[in-house]
Amino acid sequence: MAATRSRSKLVWDIVSYIVLIGLAFICIAPIVWTFLTSLKVESDIVTRTMHYIPPSITFENYVKLWNQSSYPTLVINSLIVTSTTVLICLLTGTVAAYAFSRFQFKGRTQLMLGYLVVRMFPAVLMIIPLFIVMRQVGLLDSTFGLAVAYTSFLLPLFVWMLKGFFDAAPKELESAARIDGTTRLGAMFMVVIPIARNGLLATCVFVAIAAWNEYLFALMLTTSTGSRTWPVGLQLMVGEFQLPWGMLAAGGMISILPVIVLFALVQRAMVAGLTGGAVKG
Amino acid sequence: MATLSINSVRKSFGAVEVLSNIDIDVEDGGFLVLLGPSGCGKSTLLAIIAGLETSSGGDILIGDRNVNDVHPKDRNIAMVFQSYALYPTMPVRRNIGFGLEMRKVDAKERDAAVNRAAELLQIEHLLDRKPGQLSGGQRQRVAMGRAIVRNPDLFLFDEPLSNLDAKLRVEMRTEIKRLHERLGTTTVYVTHDQVEALTLGTKVAVMKDGVIQQLADPETIYERPANMFVAGFIGSPTMNFLRGTLEQAADDLHLRYDGGTLALPELAQDVAHFVGRTVVAGIRPETLNAGPGAATLTGIVDIIEPTGPDTMVIVNVGGQLITARLGPRARPVSGQSLTLSADSAAINLFDPDTGNRI
Amino acid sequence: MISNTGPAYSSPQRSAFDRYNPLRWIGELSETRYWMYLLLLPSALLICAVVIYPTLYGMQMSFHEMRINRPGLGNGWVGLKHYQRMVTDPVFWVSLRNTAVWVTSAIALEFLIGLVAALALNRNLPGSKVLAVLILLPYFLPNVVAGHMWALMLDPRLGVINDLLVKVGLLQGYKAWFADPTTAMAAAIVVEAWHSFPFFTLLLLAGLKGIPTDLYKAADIDGAGALSQLRLITLPMLKTIIAAAVILRVIGLVNSPDLLLILTSGGPGRSTQVLSLYAFQTAYKDFNFGYAGALSVVMFVLLMVFAWAYVRLSKVNED
Repeated sequence: MAATRSRSKLVWDIVSYIVLIGLAFICIAPIVWTFLTSLKVESDIVTRTMHYIPPSITFENYVKLWNQSSYPTLVINSLIVTSTTVLICLLTGTVAAYAFSRFQFKGRTQLMLGYLVVRMFPAVLMIIPLFIVMRQVGLLDSTFGLAVAYTSFLLPLFVWMLKGFFDAAPKELESAARIDGTTRLGAMFMVVIPIARNGLLATCVFVAIAAWNEYLFALMLTTSTGSRTWPVGLQLMVGEFQLPWGMLAAGGMISILPVIVLFALVQRAMVAGLTGGAVKG
Repeated sequence: MATLSINSVRKSFGAVEVLSNIDIDVEDGGFLVLLGPSGCGKSTLLAIIAGLETSSGGDILIGDRNVNDVHPKDRNIAMVFQSYALYPTMPVRRNIGFGLEMRKVDAKERDAAVNRAAELLQIEHLLDRKPGQLSGGQRQRVAMGRAIVRNPDLFLFDEPLSNLDAKLRVEMRTEIKRLHERLGTTTVYVTHDQVEALTLGTKVAVMKDGVIQQLADPETIYERPANMFVAGFIGSPTMNFLRGTLEQAADDLHLRYDGGTLALPELAQDVAHFVGRTVVAGIRPETLNAGPGAATLTGIVDIIEPTGPDTMVIVNVGGQLITARLGPRARPVSGQSLTLSADSAAINLFDPDTGNRI
Repeated sequence: MISNTGPAYSSPQRSAFDRYNPLRWIGELSETRYWMYLLLLPSALLICAVVIYPTLYGMQMSFHEMRINRPGLGNGWVGLKHYQRMVTDPVFWVSLRNTAVWVTSAIALEFLIGLVAALALNRNLPGSKVLAVLILLPYFLPNVVAGHMWALMLDPRLGVINDLLVKVGLLQGYKAWFADPTTAMAAAIVVEAWHSFPFFTLLLLAGLKGIPTDLYKAADIDGAGALSQLRLITLPMLKTIIAAAVILRVIGLVNSPDLLLILTSGGPGRSTQVLSLYAFQTAYKDFNFGYAGALSVVMFVLLMVFAWAYVRLSKVNED
């Protein structure tokens, strides 16, 4: 009995490893292939015989992308849009998440549900009126306008995720702080927010990645190189030239590099934050 | 230091009344324990005293000052929480001194006060650690340090020992008692542990469903419980309830139960008006002894539970189970008949209809 | 009674400076009972401005003529015209059918892979932390890059997947996956599943961690095998999480046309045209905002009905 027990455990352990390594390979392979492609010279990409290992390594694609296209501008635009989005979420969302986490008040559940339902609204249904409104107020084709538009789906997410992190700090802490002599404002900034700082960081990173990656709103709400973000620019290259695979691959690698680095750095807190709400039901 | 008066305090959440008409006075230097099962309203009452919750009516007076509309920070109170509520991002030193920092006490004076408090609690060596690096008992001490450093009018404790293991709980209980005797600060202490209540309190309020069942010193609570709830809640093993008819025979009262009678020669209550009616006799297990006496109960031994210092014997007396706490060497045999003598002066009679002591 | 730690410290007196200190002022505001509403106000206003108002605007737009490239038609009220057009619009019906295929197959695939990955990761084998990071990574990658990576690998002339399949012998020659109406949808679903299965892994893994291990020990003692443990313990305990994950994923898939827009633009023909994409193209290419609005409203209503029915059904099952 004991022998079959441990043998079946061993079998399942091996199966698990095979599954995990296989899946990890499938997840990583496209990224690796794109990276290898970005290092190839054009003639090695478009060839009759497939080169799995680049016969000659070149950074020509990166250099060309950086010097001969508007890619640097696009990346800077994306950085501006991303940081503006995070800033707006931080300023308005942190206090809202705190209120949801700490206070019982009339309409709290309904309002929280409202923040959730908002995500069900089809993107297209919002983009068209946003396009019209932004044109009227002069925010169309501006990085700030795009950032504001991003908050429509990222702010509710930010609030829900951060609320989970605030919930983890015991409520007695504010009571203790208020007896010690702070106001509610003081308790929030001196005691609770410092505790939740890792969660706050993870939430910001999540929102930043989403804003950095966003394509549809950017496509609709920006029209010139002055405010266009990199995903739109990269997609437009497909039309400009005849499928410049080397440059597309190079652009893709440059743009996902910050995502991979950020994800690797804060993935544990981010995963906890993303799943926190779901586990509690 | 100050007195505390709680005058007709009420609290309701919507239609649910969680506290109804609470009246308690605590003398200067007194130690009030609020005791009751979870959900009885004791923690809500403490939060109202602290100013963390508002009452729906009534007054709280600390000293002569009505503090109904006073912010918690201005009530000059200190509180120790069940979870200790230490600020995890600050080292112990700043945790203890935070109240002084908020009151703009200058750094030198603050340090001196923190050091004095730390010395009193023997936690000087922990001052530069973060709360996360401390054990449960150490956190408890830091939480107490935070409370005493400001020298407040009133200490509030919200189940401070319930997160500790059994051994540490006993140690800290003694520590709290020593601290109270040394500082003499008026204290309100919430707990569901009857032993804590009896050992610490100068006054114990037993609560149930937002109503005070009895407010008295620990001795009275234990020996003369006001009703069957208090009688059953306090004491371990719990008080025996023997149901029977009260009868007058010659000049003696006795209780006739199924299968026998229990004489009540030295009863401490005036129960003349209950003669001929059904009553419940509350008998503490430790007031029963093996062997004959002035008042006896006879039954069949059901179960024997040796606990070391005592032997609990459960006896079936005419269909009602009675627990007796006998000496360590008492070894009656299951299934045999056993006669127990009771101390009738320690017996309390209750009205089974109202549950109140007659 | 020994006097102990020194003097009692009371609250400091207010100085003249404090009266003009904004922090002090907000601090006092925080003690009023309006405080939580004040905290909620900025975000609520912002959401009203960028979500509620545009959505309502979009809904009323669906009852108006609104073509940016043909201003001559005006912005008049046209009642249910757009909705009536939809009934006879063959593209709408094709899109509806494609949406159903797209959403159900993608989610079924994502759920299956996600569950297998979560079960394997939950065994906490050495090294599984690193593998978890690699497995979760695709979910955080941009649609645009994910689309291009797969377009490159599935390319009819230089795609590495074609090359591998030919070498293994599964394929006669290179195949144009996205140009063939019979394979375009399937290829897109594979890309979508690769991109989003980690979402299920993430949530299911969190759910698995919440199941008490004693349950499995008890099942072991009762002699239940691995498969019956999965069927009788794991899946029932994960029910609420699965329901939540499916709903969130359905919303995401129905609402955002990004990936299909990048991969196929709905082609070839209409073989990968889904509702959200059709609505987007109606707005972005034809500039017919009224009809695009109507399409989105219908999509939203369908989504609401689905979510309501789904929550209802999973509740009924619980009872």
